[in-house]
Amino acid sequence: MLKVKNIETLYGLIMAVRGVSLEVQEKQIISILGANGAGKTTILKTVMGLLEDQPDKGTIEFMGKRIDGKDAEEIVHLGISYVPEGREVFPELSVDENLKMGAYTRKDKKGVKEDHQRVISHFPILAERKDQWAGTLSGGEQQMLAIGRALMARPKLLMLDEPSLGLSPILVKEIFGIVKTINEEGTTILLVEQNAKMALKISDYAFVLESGRIVAANTPNILLEDEDVKEFYLGIRSEESAKGYQRWKRKKRWR
Amino acid sequence: MVKKSLMFVGLLVFAFFVTAPASAQAVRGVTDTEILIGQWGPQTGPAAPWGAVARGTDLLVKIINDEGGIHGRKLKYFLRDDSYMPAKTKAIAKEFVEQIGVFAVVGGVGVATGMTARDYLMENKVPWFSPVTGVYEWIHPIQKYLFAMYPLYDDEAFNLTGYLHEKLGYKKIAMFYQNDDYGKQGVMGVDRYLLKKNIKLVAKISAEVTDRDLSTHALKLRESGAEAVIIWTMPTHAALLLAETAKIGFKPQWATSNTLSDSALMMGITRGLWAGMINSFFSELPDSNHPLMVKYREAHKKYAPSERWGVFYYAGIAFAEPFVEGVRRAGRNLTTESWIKAMEGMKDFQGIGLPVTYAGLKDRQGGKHVFYGKVKPDGNIERLTDWIRITK
Amino acid sequence: MFGQLVVSGLAVGACYALIAIAMVIIYKTSEVLNFAQGEMAMISTFIAFTLLETHQVPFPYALALTFLFAILLAVFFELVFLRQAKDPTVLGLIIITLGFEMVLMGFVGWKWGPDQRALPFPVSNIEAYNFYGLIISKINFWTLIVSLVLMFILFLFFRYTKLGIAMRATQQNQLAARVMGIRTKWIFSFTWALSSMVGAVAGMLIAALGVLDPPMMMDPLLKGFASGVLGGMTSLPGAALGGALLGVIENLFGGYVSLSFKSVVAFAIIVLMLCIKPSGLLAKHYVKKV
Repeated sequence: MLKVKNIETLYGLIMAVRGVSLEVQEKQIISILGANGAGKTTILKTVMGLLEDQPDKGTIEFMGKRIDGKDAEEIVHLGISYVPEGREVFPELSVDENLKMGAYTRKDKKGVKEDHQRVISHFPILAERKDQWAGTLSGGEQQMLAIGRALMARPKLLMLDEPSLGLSPILVKEIFGIVKTINEEGTTILLVEQNAKMALKISDYAFVLESGRIVAANTPNILLEDEDVKEFYLGIRSEESAKGYQRWKRKKRWR
Repeated sequence: MVKKSLMFVGLLVFAFFVTAPASAQAVRGVTDTEILIGQWGPQTGPAAPWGAVARGTDLLVKIINDEGGIHGRKLKYFLRDDSYMPAKTKAIAKEFVEQIGVFAVVGGVGVATGMTARDYLMENKVPWFSPVTGVYEWIHPIQKYLFAMYPLYDDEAFNLTGYLHEKLGYKKIAMFYQNDDYGKQGVMGVDRYLLKKNIKLVAKISAEVTDRDLSTHALKLRESGAEAVIIWTMPTHAALLLAETAKIGFKPQWATSNTLSDSALMMGITRGLWAGMINSFFSELPDSNHPLMVKYREAHKKYAPSERWGVFYYAGIAFAEPFVEGVRRAGRNLTTESWIKAMEGMKDFQGIGLPVTYAGLKDRQGGKHVFYGKVKPDGNIERLTDWIRITK
Repeated sequence: MFGQLVVSGLAVGACYALIAIAMVIIYKTSEVLNFAQGEMAMISTFIAFTLLETHQVPFPYALALTFLFAILLAVFFELVFLRQAKDPTVLGLIIITLGFEMVLMGFVGWKWGPDQRALPFPVSNIEAYNFYGLIISKINFWTLIVSLVLMFILFLFFRYTKLGIAMRATQQNQLAARVMGIRTKWIFSFTWALSSMVGAVAGMLIAALGVLDPPMMMDPLLKGFASGVLGGMTSLPGAALGGALLGVIENLFGGYVSLSFKSVVAFAIIVLMLCIKPSGLLAKHYVKKV
């Protein structure tokens, strides 16, 4: 469904993504894992057409059509929605107005109404808060609103950027549960996460990114067995010294 | 002491020898074939309507050159836009003196603008004829190289108040003026007259140059119960005030300064409310049959048909005519001194403007007369009096 | 006298409110204070004048053509000057508007000359209605009505239409707006066009109230800005309220305290508001949680 081939993205003179290729199949949940600054968000922004004149090199195909170089408006129209990192709701619009903006490019009023119902069924709290300014919602509610707003475009592919950021473990669990449900209802999901444990739980396939390069790619089961992934992303230490502390830093294989 | 005086004499002799040959050779701004003169005026900015004066002078220059110039010399005229900004005026004065080297400056609208140039011109001994405003700054103190012509606002206001009070019998008089030099010298004259008659203004109301809402001013004037109101402002404020008072049904006898004597303009912007206005004039009426006016109107059609034949356009002629006359009287041997001598002897010279008389260094306010007119409903002027002397 | 002062205060306040609204529309979406607002309105009014006076175009058509001009002028300015600015800061953009203001002023002086003129207008600026002793001139009355209707339409537009909400969204979060598929660049052009149209209405009303000449908007622009600061530069109802309040306060001050210091009231209000409540009376501002 989404084919990213060898893209390189520049932020001014800094190359944030250095030749990344990845593929997302329909109905899957795909994760991109990696530490802060690895270039995960840049990949999503590049796909979304939010970075002017980027990607510098490489191609992006969606549903068999080239989309690199197109602007965000067209990409939304083609069926990709993006939930940016940090929610980015419109703070001084009401919850309902926020959702309305999610369906900005759509002309089918009936379909929009149905989707609104669907969003409310996933996030009943949004109905309760419908006239409140989005800025007054709690972090979890804002995340729900951001996802709901993205769903209002009836996307074929939903890209989520760090949905767990700053949320309590219970809320994270709830959100990931809903993401899974949304996926089961037929929406393909591309997930960017630091919280690898949580992401791997629901993913069909995952890519590990470091310094703008993909360093590992596999199914969650295999990745979970990987020593490096375990240590660097899951925080599970495999080797400890007899004295109870680590005496040397483990070297990553792929460096 | 003796030593000192000797040295002084020595210096004088030295100075004579150094400077005398130069002055015999050339007068600044005068060549065998040309006389260079300059004028500044606001061609852009809020005061731009008065910039027409400087363009009117240009017409006179063209007419004179067309007739062969003066004693074989043609006038070369430099017009500069100062946007009514004093800093620019000063720069223009410097350009006139140091770069162009003009013989004299003629006209120039504005008090604040002219004041920045006055001392500079005087120090450099550049004659300045007739700044186009009627304030005391031009004659106090009297300056050798400065000749004023525009009737004094103070005297004009004094006389106008007298006209309203004595001739027309109004007892309750109010004043609406602009809060600056021009407006205040108008107030001075009105107050001076009323003090003499021991009456008081029923209202004295001012507006800032930038004000655009005069509804409160209009209300206050109505509350005062004035029978006659004297206006001493720019055209815009007069128009705004007339509209505001008309709304609330306040209809006194209006009177105003000759700075608002362009009745064609005023009728237009007041949508006819200007009819009935009484004010003084410093030059012939636009449609006058005065032979010079006929001649100038024809030249206007020929040289500047796109200009409106307004009072302030041909004021540029009226306030330059005596200068030209002085140049004529000075003869072929034109120097600053010979021109000043010719001007100082001028008595009752009259072109299309008010009569002009100077008396040596004692009197440099050449223009002392105005006449009164009343605006008819069709915008033309009904002449009420002949030339009246307003300055003693 | 009190009633009369209030009534004429409201009428002039309505004009201030329109200018404030025009400024707020732009400020809300881009945080740029448009100092060319007055001159843009002024040149539009001159266009209206030329159509009505020189070409004798019937009023409704002249109005439509004037709006068209106002839109084109604003879009032209936005596209050709503001958008070309390299790495623009808000201050830089404000300075560009100042430059544009001077260009327009010079252009109008050159094209139409400096003389004052009267704008032909369907409503007389002299005749008046008399409501039980309170006199309100026809032009003031209709100024009030036009302003109120326009404000109401704008309120509905920003509140209920998709485009209106998208404009607010763009102002609050440009990135998110783009992610929604909102063409934010287009929204900026549209913002300028809308603001320029509101400004043109204000310009025509102000010219009809008094005279038409190049500096006619200098004072109203300052007052409009003061109204915006008073009511809140980010709030449309605030700008409307600020305009009405300023008009009335000014008039009462002029009527009962000092007429000579009347024009200082607006400055005093700007300074006072910036000290006490910089966001203005009606602007509730959401403080971003970090």
